[in-house]
Amino acid sequence: MWNRIITLIRKEFQQIRRDRRMRVMVLVAPVLQIILLGYAANMDVFQVPLGVYDLDHGTQSRELVDQFLNSGYFVLAAQARSFDDLDRFFMDGTTEVNLAIPRNFSRDIDSGKGASLQLSADGAVSSSATIALSYASTIVASYGSSGRAGATAPEIRAWYNPELKTRLFMVPGVLALLLMMFTLIFTSLSVVKEKEMGTIEQLIVTPLKSTELIIGKLIPFVLVSLVMAVLVIIAATLVFGIFPRGSIVLLLLLCLVFILSTLGLGLFVSTIAANQQQAMFFSIFFFMFPMTILSGFVFPIENMPAWIQPITYLLPLRYFFVIVRGIYLKGDGMRQLWPQVLALLAIGITVISVSMLRFKKRLD
Amino acid sequence: MKSEPAISVQAVEKHFGAFHAVDGVSFSVEKGMVFGLLGANGAGKSTLIRILCGILTPTRGSARVAGFDVNTQTEEVKRTIGYMSQRFSLYEDISVIENIRFFGGMYGLAGASLREAEERVLSLAELAGEENRITGELSGGWRQRLALGCAILHKPSVVFLDEPTGGIDPVARRRFWEIINGLAAEGSTILVTTHYMDEAEFCNSIVLMHAGKIVAQGSPADLKREYMAGPVFEVECDDAPLAIRTLSGLGWVADVSMFGAFLHVNLVEHSDKSLLSAALAAPGIGVHRVEQIRPSLEDVFLHLIEKR
Amino acid sequence: MQRLVRIKAIIKKEFRQISRDIGTLGTLVILPLALLVLFGYAISLDVKEIRVAVWDLDGTDLSREYQRGFFNSSYFTFQSVIRSSQDRDEALAEGMALAVLTIPPGFARAIDRGETATVQFLVDASNSTTASTAIGYLNGADLAFSLAHARGHAVAPKIDLRPRVVFNQELKSVNSLIPGLIVLILTLAAVVSTALTLVREKEHGTREQLSVSPITPLELVIGKTLPYLMVALVSTTLILSASWLFFGVTVKGSLVLLYLTTILFLFASLGIGILISSIVSTQQAAFMISAILTVLPTFILTGFVFPIRNMPPIIQVISAVLPARYYLAILRTIILKGAGISSIYREILVLSGFAVLMLGLGTFRVSRTRS
Repeated sequence: MWNRIITLIRKEFQQIRRDRRMRVMVLVAPVLQIILLGYAANMDVFQVPLGVYDLDHGTQSRELVDQFLNSGYFVLAAQARSFDDLDRFFMDGTTEVNLAIPRNFSRDIDSGKGASLQLSADGAVSSSATIALSYASTIVASYGSSGRAGATAPEIRAWYNPELKTRLFMVPGVLALLLMMFTLIFTSLSVVKEKEMGTIEQLIVTPLKSTELIIGKLIPFVLVSLVMAVLVIIAATLVFGIFPRGSIVLLLLLCLVFILSTLGLGLFVSTIAANQQQAMFFSIFFFMFPMTILSGFVFPIENMPAWIQPITYLLPLRYFFVIVRGIYLKGDGMRQLWPQVLALLAIGITVISVSMLRFKKRLD
Repeated sequence: MKSEPAISVQAVEKHFGAFHAVDGVSFSVEKGMVFGLLGANGAGKSTLIRILCGILTPTRGSARVAGFDVNTQTEEVKRTIGYMSQRFSLYEDISVIENIRFFGGMYGLAGASLREAEERVLSLAELAGEENRITGELSGGWRQRLALGCAILHKPSVVFLDEPTGGIDPVARRRFWEIINGLAAEGSTILVTTHYMDEAEFCNSIVLMHAGKIVAQGSPADLKREYMAGPVFEVECDDAPLAIRTLSGLGWVADVSMFGAFLHVNLVEHSDKSLLSAALAAPGIGVHRVEQIRPSLEDVFLHLIEKR
Repeated sequence: MQRLVRIKAIIKKEFRQISRDIGTLGTLVILPLALLVLFGYAISLDVKEIRVAVWDLDGTDLSREYQRGFFNSSYFTFQSVIRSSQDRDEALAEGMALAVLTIPPGFARAIDRGETATVQFLVDASNSTTASTAIGYLNGADLAFSLAHARGHAVAPKIDLRPRVVFNQELKSVNSLIPGLIVLILTLAAVVSTALTLVREKEHGTREQLSVSPITPLELVIGKTLPYLMVALVSTTLILSASWLFFGVTVKGSLVLLYLTTILFLFASLGIGILISSIVSTQQAAFMISAILTVLPTFILTGFVFPIRNMPPIIQVISAVLPARYYLAILRTIILKGAGISSIYREILVLSGFAVLMLGLGTFRVSRTRS
């Protein structure tokens, strides 16, 4: 039996070796993608374009604006000469946050009378504007109470990500995403391609057993995926200086566990699809797309409505995100991650078993 | 004590929904024979072969191959048979020798036995020296020979060939049949499907299928004798449609059909050529040639099909 | 006249093929709808119910009042009581709490004496976006208590701050995300389906048949893209209706402008699909490349979730090459802001340029491969 499995694995590698497109997909594309996405996936509050309508032109107003600009969060994008100007800034997308300082602001502040300010954010752009708004509010509040000590002073420490960089959160996430994409799509295609090319007929007429076929088809992809994972991890380290705080060995081991579940899914797709186009359609729309959005890559699962949450429990990617981010950012080990590992194993074993049962050595 | 036939088919049916691809077929094939399964495209030949190979389940009926039941002992069947599918189904993106070694491995060949099989197949397919050629680059005849070779790596006792000569030139076809006969001489039982009637002449015994059913069975000579009792004439004349209409109704004409630009007229036993010439002359059809020919299996087939 | 007849023939054939091809129909009509509804409900970047664990080392009425100031608001929920530093570390490591509030001993005494008590917040910043927002709220809640209990100092001059969010009053992130979802779905559908259709012809050999017919490349391209354009417009309508029905998203601006710009965008995307199909020879490759070129970049580089301003210059250049980026800006402006052409004329120009370029290139390549 092992003879046949090894023969099959050898054939798969012979095909992979000759497939230039596969080489690009495994070696080049993921590395490019992690670099691209690592740079792009950034929600830090940074250089938010600010629009200012200063009716006061006094010392206090100038100081306030300086506070904004010195915070590092905002850049002065435009000065308004009327309220219409401010509106237009939002309409045209010139600014994301607008500050309107009324006449006599400086005088009222100096005299202790108190003044009012208008602060607005463009909610249409993305939620980053609203975060910027809360930062802006904090700047105003601290400006207002500067020099006077309040009852409490908060000391806030950001753990695991002291500089609050989105990238630290996103890059490990992208690693997980790339792994999923590759394993899911290529596994589903591999078996279906045999169906489409007709070679499956010649294959099932031989003494090769279904389980041997599945194992023989999966093992090459496991190995190739691991190579890809290592490449991406290295790229992330070299380009962004982001490397796992926890054990790399554990990371790779758990990549393996994750891969098993996605390979199982890909296999399952290949048992339902009749040709490659269908296989890709199913993989991408029924698995990849939903998984990307629902597993907590960008959008927190806690925010999702109650009826969606159960669905997320079925997605292997959900658990893997926790694992990857846990190892990268928190240095988590098996002690913290065992629930996720268990879930992944359960999903993987279930899916692979179901696929094995579905896969009969018949044409009908 | 007669030994069990290599292949025995009993009332096999295969339904795809309402469509009966195979509709009650029974026959048997003795060991060492070259057996032909004839019929037009869509007659059910490929479906039947796939059932016999154990990769399709029959809706009804049973079959035994090499002493094993195809339904309940499928894996044993697969170990002892070789199969060459109608559509080319070797891996086109790897080399010739890689394909050979792959299928050799599938059948459990390794080491010395694998090497021996490699050499045998390479020489049979006349591909010695081309081992490292990518399979997809081979042209028609070579590919088919390679596919045949890969089907017999493990020296199976029963070999199923589904339209093995489809789309290759007549010279290559003749060579192919030499290989098949060679295999039979070594003791293998071969079942071949084809829609080339002339190839049927090479078989020991044939079965004619049409719309899922068997319409005729026997050796080529038997069939011709049985269904073409009377003489067959090839007629070259003007106005063939009129000639057909004229002859069709006559009692002593068993069959008349178009053959390319000519007519083949099959007369009832003991009829005479003169009757034919006279019948054609009557409506004033210009006749250029009336020549008696030896009936071919194609004539037999057309005769049988048109009867239905 | 001949031209129109030939184009019509291609269009009819495409429609027939589309209607029989469940995959394409599903991609263009049913699936976008399903995805919109599912994701519309799922995606939200709002930060609510921040789980805070408390380590109260003071245990006084004042410290408890301090805590109440947080948990009375809807932003925070009480997670658990912390009793040791190990507790605290575990709570954060296992993700049970997003923040741990530590109230030091002597908290109440310090405040009574008119001093400032330092309170510590440890925030799990793995997700820096959530953390940033949470920090903003924490600061705000603390400030409220701080000012209210400041003793013995002059009260700070009141700055009455009126922050508002324009165009998205309910502050639901879903509102700004819906246009992005529309763009994502349309991009995928358009590019993938056109890439597939032409490659399918190549694979099945019908391309050869077509190339010996008198049809010109331009007619072929037009004939093949128009059906998908029409189906995609139907798709768009369905998506907009579903957005309104399920999420209450109304189009504040001009519907006509919306559809016109959508057509422009679809032309650009369809053109890209054609370009892809002219380069690759198998359906598999066409699908792969078009899917990869559309899904992730559209998700990440068009401003859907991540602001373009944050990206390094090179990446911004790449972003500038994606038609989806401009279409997204247009959609947001028309749907959420109700603006007119004056605000989006730049994007419209760019999209038009894209449409012409892509279709032109595609046609060119189709003619190249035929000869």
